[in-house]
Amino acid sequence: MSTISTALRNFKEPTKEQLTQIFFSLPSVGSLDGTAKTSAQEVEKMDINAVLSLGVQGVEESYAGKLHIMSPYLAFTSLDRKSVRFTIPLSTIRRVERLNARAGIYALSLSTWHGQKIIVQLTSLRPTADLFCSLLRDALKIELQRGQMKLVKGFVKTCYSEALVSTTSTVADNEREDGSLISEEKADAAPRESTYHGGLGLRFKFPGDPKKLREASKIKLWTIYLREHGRNLTLLRYPQCTRLVQVGLPNRLRGEMWEVLSGSMYLRYSNPGFYEKLLDDNKGRTSTSTEDIEKDLHRSLPEYAGYQSEDGINALRRVLQAYSFKNPELGYCQAMNILAAAILIYMSEEQAFWLLEVLCDRLLPGYYAPSMHGTLLDQRVFESLVQRTLPIIHDHFQVVDVQLSVASLPWFLSLYINSMPMIFAFRIVDCFFCMGPKVLFQVGLMLGSPQAILKINGEKLLQIQDDGGFLNLMRDYFASLGDSAHPDSSDPRARAITKFQELLLVSFREFSVITDDMILSERRRFRSEIIHSIESFAKRSAIRNLKTLGRFSKDQAGLIYDALYKSMCIIPPPAATAPAPVLFNTNDGNEEKPETRIELRTFQYFLSEIATWARNEKIVMNGFQQRVDREIAEHEFIDRLFFFWDTSCRGALSFQDLVSGLDGVMFNDLMENIEWFFNMHDKNKDGFLTKDEVLTLSESFLFIFRYEVGDAYLGAVSRFMTNAFEYGDTLLPQSESENSNDGETSPRPQIESNQPYLNLATFRMVVLADEILESFFEADLSASFRLEPVPEMELPVSNSGLLGNLWSTIATDSNKKIFNTFTDEIGKTIGKHQVIHRPSIGRYTKLEEPKARESLLTPSMRKSPSKASLTGTSSTTTLVTSSSSSLAVDVKAEPAKALPTIPDSASFAPMVHAVNASLMERTPFAIDDAKDDEDESDDEFDDPDNDDQVMDEVDAFLEAHDSGLTDADKEVANDLLHAEPVK
Amino acid sequence: MSDSASGSVDKSVQVKLVLLGEAAVGKSSVVLRFVSNEFQANKEPTIGAAFLTQKCRLEDRVLRYEIWDTAGQERFHSLAPMYYRNAQAAVVVYDVTKATSLEKAKSWVKELQRQANPNIVIALAGNKIDLVQPSVSSPGALSSSESEDEADDATATPGETPNFSGEEPESLRQVPREEAQAYATEAGLLFFETSAKTGEGVVDIFTEIAKKIPIEHILAATRGTARSGTGGRGTGQESGVNLEETVSNSKDGCNC
Repeated sequence: MSTISTALRNFKEPTKEQLTQIFFSLPSVGSLDGTAKTSAQEVEKMDINAVLSLGVQGVEESYAGKLHIMSPYLAFTSLDRKSVRFTIPLSTIRRVERLNARAGIYALSLSTWHGQKIIVQLTSLRPTADLFCSLLRDALKIELQRGQMKLVKGFVKTCYSEALVSTTSTVADNEREDGSLISEEKADAAPRESTYHGGLGLRFKFPGDPKKLREASKIKLWTIYLREHGRNLTLLRYPQCTRLVQVGLPNRLRGEMWEVLSGSMYLRYSNPGFYEKLLDDNKGRTSTSTEDIEKDLHRSLPEYAGYQSEDGINALRRVLQAYSFKNPELGYCQAMNILAAAILIYMSEEQAFWLLEVLCDRLLPGYYAPSMHGTLLDQRVFESLVQRTLPIIHDHFQVVDVQLSVASLPWFLSLYINSMPMIFAFRIVDCFFCMGPKVLFQVGLMLGSPQAILKINGEKLLQIQDDGGFLNLMRDYFASLGDSAHPDSSDPRARAITKFQELLLVSFREFSVITDDMILSERRRFRSEIIHSIESFAKRSAIRNLKTLGRFSKDQAGLIYDALYKSMCIIPPPAATAPAPVLFNTNDGNEEKPETRIELRTFQYFLSEIATWARNEKIVMNGFQQRVDREIAEHEFIDRLFFFWDTSCRGALSFQDLVSGLDGVMFNDLMENIEWFFNMHDKNKDGFLTKDEVLTLSESFLFIFRYEVGDAYLGAVSRFMTNAFEYGDTLLPQSESENSNDGETSPRPQIESNQPYLNLATFRMVVLADEILESFFEADLSASFRLEPVPEMELPVSNSGLLGNLWSTIATDSNKKIFNTFTDEIGKTIGKHQVIHRPSIGRYTKLEEPKARESLLTPSMRKSPSKASLTGTSSTTTLVTSSSSSLAVDVKAEPAKALPTIPDSASFAPMVHAVNASLMERTPFAIDDAKDDEDESDDEFDDPDNDDQVMDEVDAFLEAHDSGLTDADKEVANDLLHAEPVK
Repeated sequence: MSDSASGSVDKSVQVKLVLLGEAAVGKSSVVLRFVSNEFQANKEPTIGAAFLTQKCRLEDRVLRYEIWDTAGQERFHSLAPMYYRNAQAAVVVYDVTKATSLEKAKSWVKELQRQANPNIVIALAGNKIDLVQPSVSSPGALSSSESEDEADDATATPGETPNFSGEEPESLRQVPREEAQAYATEAGLLFFETSAKTGEGVVDIFTEIAKKIPIEHILAATRGTARSGTGGRGTGQESGVNLEETVSNSKDGCNC
């Protein structure tokens, strides 16, 4: 249920280059494996001013514009960016000639595969033109080497337009073409007709009455156009092309034109066989997407005959599945079935697959993503456009609280196919592919404009009181689109105009102010708002869906979520959602909801946000500035915590795991904390720590205390180890009979380092024997987990865009780093560079005097001793830190048997004799104590009163003897550092 | 689709009802069963939400349900607030043969109780009980064409064939009635087990909701504002279900 996605944060505002590519409907570079590989030897991109004219005089005027070379494509657009444009694969260019023309004119004649000649006059300066030509030459060479040139022939055979042009009038065709090509075309003329791709419509009939749609005359007009302006790969789009599209594409040509206009043809062209291979490779694979697809197959345009047959259903299944395999992150979203079903009427499966790719990827970005952010964003944009262009209606809807999206959401999601009779919807789709996403908005606005609704339906729109009413009115209007717009007119021609024609006409006229640029900028304007609302919605539902909040309040859970979210942004969990269904057997019984889980690396970051000891914070002072450098700490302890919290043993933690895990420690009292810490190190959960685990536990202590000021903590840990092994040995069943006094000298019972050794009660006792550890477990441990508001993550403010901003923060971060290193260097040279590790617990922060160590030697000088040892300058701090960390490393290699050296080490430091005496004294005291009550020790320690008594005793003891204990322990630690392992 | 005729029924009280639940638990089928004369129209797939209306008579009062049948796919979840806002009633559907669907239902209930209209009447419906019952009591063997259509949704879960006879159908059940009932009582929901396929229990949901809805409250709230907007619709439902009747027949009255 709780999937947490940071995908929205990764949005990149398209660069200018990308925008150009989008404009020319080029496949985005690297979007496919195929194109990515070949782009290695790519020619530089360049654009140049040029004037385009056709080789045949008098056919079309000339247009000034820009010619782009974007290998492997050549593209042109007129200055107004809409009258004329083309995108031609370089491999279809068969000859380039520099024309001998009047002086000062630099003109190229390009002959395409289809034999038409395109004349481009390069109007830039001579050197620029020369450069462009050389680039063009290089690019063409590469295409030739790649063997792309050979593919053209086979590819164009799959296009209906070839059949159309060659069958209707071969004579005219041949007259126009230059010799070399005629023979080829003639030879292929016969088989070509049967090989072109087509949709279900060829078998199951196209929707609508061909007579009413005036198919024949449309086909005629297109045949003429295609013959003169190129076709499929080499189509030049002159104003007439757009006009012909606006009156509706003829059914047979529709699929191919959609391909060309949307640019999906280039994908199909450059990835031959991809679709079949994709299906083959993933044969039999099932996923949540394929299951969802299965449910919708029979609900996709069910009234169309093709989808009442198995063939139609199978084609639909394959196309949708193929897309979900290609883009598992998106998978399948309801409404895609409608689109796929619609385009399959006009296209082959392969064509439909690539068109779907273009739709989901470029034309309707984010519409079908798991968060559907694109849909939500465009709904917001649409609302704002309504407000701008139709203020009356917007205000009325505000007053009666009608939500526009209730009706408009399906319009956009299914390109109106679901909302109006198919024959009309497909004409909108024609325009959509030809003129871009703005069409959806224009038509949508038109539906609310006075010319349509109000004129036809009177004042109904303004009478609407609720969502339902709005929806019904729209439904009725759509149903009546085929009716005459002027039924009462005396002029038969006026009567013949349908509401739909009027709708389309007026929407393009009235709302021509809506441009693609405007939509882009509106999207930019609202993107952060939408992302915010999606994210906060996701956060709310994630918190709501927690099985238990533990003792946290909702707000606290929110803070945990924020920290988790931030860490996921920084270290994204690897492909969180995609493989989720495969993780466990998805039997009906224990079917797993896709749930976001984070792995160890993300967890480390998460923990560093929350636990003070899980990060390394260095306070750096270099004379110029003081700053805090924060790094993620890595230590086995953190890994241990990760697996400790991973209660379902998946190697990954969910939000719930984190909340429960934190709940298990943040509210603990002294005893609970001790137990928690014990359990965490008791790997097999048998209630005993092994010797190895005792050592690991000590390392964990050292890790947590690594930046504490002074060496009190170090001492505490040493004492802990001493005591733990002493107590542990004493409590061993074999040692029961032995005299505790000679326990040190008599040979100890050997116990394997991986055998159960120390139980909780003993551990508790050992901990409570030490003031510092006690206070650590009493409060410091819990307090080291801090839920603090995560500073608001950078979100796009306005024009720079979301990732633009994220990038900029990264960029400035690295800038900062450079600046920091720079100032550090200077600081070092002038001797003012200082680095202090910020302590994780920070109970003791006073740094009084550097001579604390020496002062310990003379007891008279000691103030409150255990605290005095905590004092020291910053330099000693770092020193202690380093020693403690190296200790942590060394201790690891130290077998438990190193312990017997302790007494020796004590005696070999005579100066601290008194101190050692107290140590010696204390240990037997504790052991005796434990021994006497041995039988009931467990009960005793479970009883808080007894615990208190013990603590009191311990406290009292410590008060009497604490002086110099730390010093002795320091010695112990030192010895441990240098001790050789005992054989 | 056909409810566009003019004229208004002044007596009718408009009740906005939203259907929520995991994908493929049979939400659409439940609505279909209730609004059966809209059957053809609903064969359109659910994008966002399907909108249907159905009138029903409760004693002397006519309720007009405006039903928003939401898309079940998880990614449409974030759109749901758009549909359940201002709803006076909600039917949260789960599938008795799928334990996880009850979990999802619970989370919907939670969400509704927190985010939706505070007076919302929520009904919990465990659908597809035809799969866990012996066939004896299938009064809705109905016409074959219809059950075939329903199979699209109500019983579309892969791999399961509604095999009524012999094969210990109870074993398919993953949500014990008692468990769901206990949850519903605890959360203050109406509770039903239904079968959109046989029609069992479907109409009861809407009747019970109708009884529980504070009609006077709605009337007071909508009087004067909703009149003109609601006027344009509703009378197309000539064959609206007379609930009293259908309940007594314990059979869906509108499969005509």
